[in-house]
Amino acid sequence: MDNGIRIQGLTKSFPAPRKGGAEHRVLNGLDLTIGDNEFVCVLGPSGCGKSTLLNTLSGLDRDYQGEIRFGARPMTRAGKPPVRMGYLFQDPRLLPWLSAERNVDFALENSNVPRHRWAEIKDHYFQLTGLQAFRGHHPHELSGGMAQRLALVRALAVEPDVLFMDEPFSGLDELTARRLRVDLLDIWRRTGKTIVFITHNSYEATFLADRVVVLSQGRIRREIPVTVPRPRDYDDPALFAVSKEVSATFIAAAEEAERARAQS
Amino acid sequence: MLIKVGSMIAALLAWLGLSFLFPETVLPGPWQTIQVLADNFANGDILSHLAATLGRVLGGLVLAMAVGIPVGVLMGVNRLAEKTLDVWVMVALTVPSLCYAIFAFIWIGLNETAAIVAIGLTSAPSIAINLWEGVKNIDTRLFQMARVFNASRWVIIRRVLFPQVLPYIMASLRFGLGIVWKITVLVELLGRPDGVGFELFYWYQLGNMQQVLAWTLLFTLVMLFIELVILQNLERRMFAWRPEVRI
Repeated sequence: MDNGIRIQGLTKSFPAPRKGGAEHRVLNGLDLTIGDNEFVCVLGPSGCGKSTLLNTLSGLDRDYQGEIRFGARPMTRAGKPPVRMGYLFQDPRLLPWLSAERNVDFALENSNVPRHRWAEIKDHYFQLTGLQAFRGHHPHELSGGMAQRLALVRALAVEPDVLFMDEPFSGLDELTARRLRVDLLDIWRRTGKTIVFITHNSYEATFLADRVVVLSQGRIRREIPVTVPRPRDYDDPALFAVSKEVSATFIAAAEEAERARAQS
Repeated sequence: MLIKVGSMIAALLAWLGLSFLFPETVLPGPWQTIQVLADNFANGDILSHLAATLGRVLGGLVLAMAVGIPVGVLMGVNRLAEKTLDVWVMVALTVPSLCYAIFAFIWIGLNETAAIVAIGLTSAPSIAINLWEGVKNIDTRLFQMARVFNASRWVIIRRVLFPQVLPYIMASLRFGLGIVWKITVLVELLGRPDGVGFELFYWYQLGNMQQVLAWTLLFTLVMLFIELVILQNLERRMFAWRPEVRI
């Protein structure tokens, strides 16, 4: 099944904060095609519509103009999204009264993964993330990195075809974040998923992505393919070179956004 | 624990000391009070009075929670409900409990139902306010998480909203109990032929301070037992998942 994403003319406006004011247009006719099993990083200055894009793609926000398709299946205006998705937020968002394992069960219960496969799936991902010994622990007993790993287990356990990630490592220390990035690539290589990854870290984007998409004022400013072969080395100079370009585009986008804000 | 016991002993000594300064008809000492209490146990219907009062406390508490929790939760999650109801909750809170009791006894009659209605309606606004404040503190980001994992509205209410509201329900239960029992004795004094409130009023009219103190002591001990032994343990067990908070 094709789990690529086609976004056409995606526009999202928020109502004016005051009566008579102009409505705030966050996404402005955005077109983007993401291939099946492609890893795309979306980068942009704050307020460029990154989070809004993820909210519409994940079905949290169905109030938009334009079209979103997963393969041939269009996103509906209500009900379950037409694709199995996993989501990793910036913060772990675990249910604090449930143990690590029960937190994963919570996601499984609402998925269509058959119950007889749960044990095997959980074993697999707990092992992979090194959380095997912490299955009975409650979230407050886990470190920030461990909690985010658990959120990753939860997102993967539902066997998503598409994985949405909203700055998932930005709240972690660099060492933990670096490890998790490598782990994520490893998991992605083995399981094959379409990933949309939001970040404001240009090196992270370059290291992870097949393609980096820089957003500015609700539109794509530029798409930069990363052709460095995989598996990638975190300190590969070729990555630095691409990252520099990504970074320059990002800064230009941010400056443009600032100018636009100053004018209005 | 040691501090609690120490402060209780200090209070008893203070009571003892003060009782020497006043005649027995004004402030009997602890020993006499306990003796009167023991006599009451030996040859009175103390348990039936206590049972009548506890029954009303329970009935009133159930009614207060049944009204107060939905109103409070609704006000916490829905802005329209908050704007519509907040002034009425304030009005309901302001009306003196004596008025509720009088209204209930006149409109419903001098019976058990009226007593429980009076107790329940007097305490409901405080419980509603408690929950309203609590529900405002719940973590709405978790609802978003539940939605991206395809949880239905019902699952979200039951598994994400309810566990977050539960601590506030428990807190309002303890807090509600404190209000309810004070109102219960007042209601009993006004319109019931039995119960601790009735007995207190009866002995007050006879000017018997020993009995008044004995009944006060009895009721306070029973309530402290419910609060400290039953409710606190229940709470500790229910919320074991919470990080340890030391005060």
